[in-house]
Amino acid sequence: MGELQLWLVETLGSVDAVSTLMRTRWAWPICETLHFFGLCLLFGTVGMFDLRLLGFARGIPIATLHRLVPWGVGGYCLNVLTGSLFLLTEPDQYVFNTAFHLKMLFMSLAGVNVAIFYLKVFREVKPVTAGGELPRLAKVIGGASLFFWVSVMVCGRLLTFYRPYLCDPDPGFLLSCLPYG
Amino acid sequence: MDPVFLWVESSAFSVWARESTSVFAFPTFLAGHALGMACVVGINVAVSLRLLGITPGFSGTELKKVFPLFWVGVWLAVISGTILLIAYPTKAFTNPFFYAKLVFVGLGFWQIRMIENKVLGNPDLDIPPSPKWVRFLAVSSMVCWFGVIATGRFLAYTYGRLLVNW
Repeated sequence: MGELQLWLVETLGSVDAVSTLMRTRWAWPICETLHFFGLCLLFGTVGMFDLRLLGFARGIPIATLHRLVPWGVGGYCLNVLTGSLFLLTEPDQYVFNTAFHLKMLFMSLAGVNVAIFYLKVFREVKPVTAGGELPRLAKVIGGASLFFWVSVMVCGRLLTFYRPYLCDPDPGFLLSCLPYG
Repeated sequence: MDPVFLWVESSAFSVWARESTSVFAFPTFLAGHALGMACVVGINVAVSLRLLGITPGFSGTELKKVFPLFWVGVWLAVISGTILLIAYPTKAFTNPFFYAKLVFVGLGFWQIRMIENKVLGNPDLDIPPSPKWVRFLAVSSMVCWFGVIATGRFLAYTYGRLLVNW
């Protein structure tokens, strides 16, 4: 994995145009602002849908609340875009960062959870009207989704705390320090 | 104000919150502040989209049922924010962005309270499309929360002084 990480840092760091733009006075805080707003869009829409799956606000039909989801997808896309700009500017601060590894893990799990929802449950729950009960699997998926997205957010906030320090190349499976010592 | 800042910064709690290497100190307060923000702004997003007619077809009273989560977010953000302030009082109080953030927070609260008390559950306003002033409120509250996020982020990059003696 260490070889792959080194290759990733070298490849991502070679996009000079992005890092030059991001190192201007206001680019980084503007992108962080958009990243946080994207997170709130995702949380307020997909999170709201998850709460309904869990049994809150039962008076709202599932199909109605599902109309919020495209806004959540918009927030997610905004975050992928701004997050990529951070990654392309300071790749070694992310690729060797344990909090980033966990963030990617939780994002992947959230993605798998979304896939299971649409493949296994969506057809069954979409017609559920106000007050309607949902299958147990839908509740599990809603709870898991909330847990994964909160974990993504927490890991994102912990990125600065787990900033990688310099070390000798580590033979471990996943490098969590800067192997340039 | 320096003597006051210095007094706060030298307190055992401030030093612990700022300098402890434990993941349960500063990182936890930062994460708690972000989570609180996500609850507060997230609920506001869902409410605004309903008022703008993106999700018609249900009573606004239903949205009132998720407001306890909004208040959980408020308390989480206030408590964690206060601890972050105790950790770095000089950094915040000497930066104009901090005062701008407080203004946006005040305006945001005023508007969401107005929506909660006067709009959601009001039978006269429950049938879409919402009147123009309600739609304006939905947009302006979002603008205010966006302002809270922006000023909060810019705080981290524009401070002139971190601590009294630093």
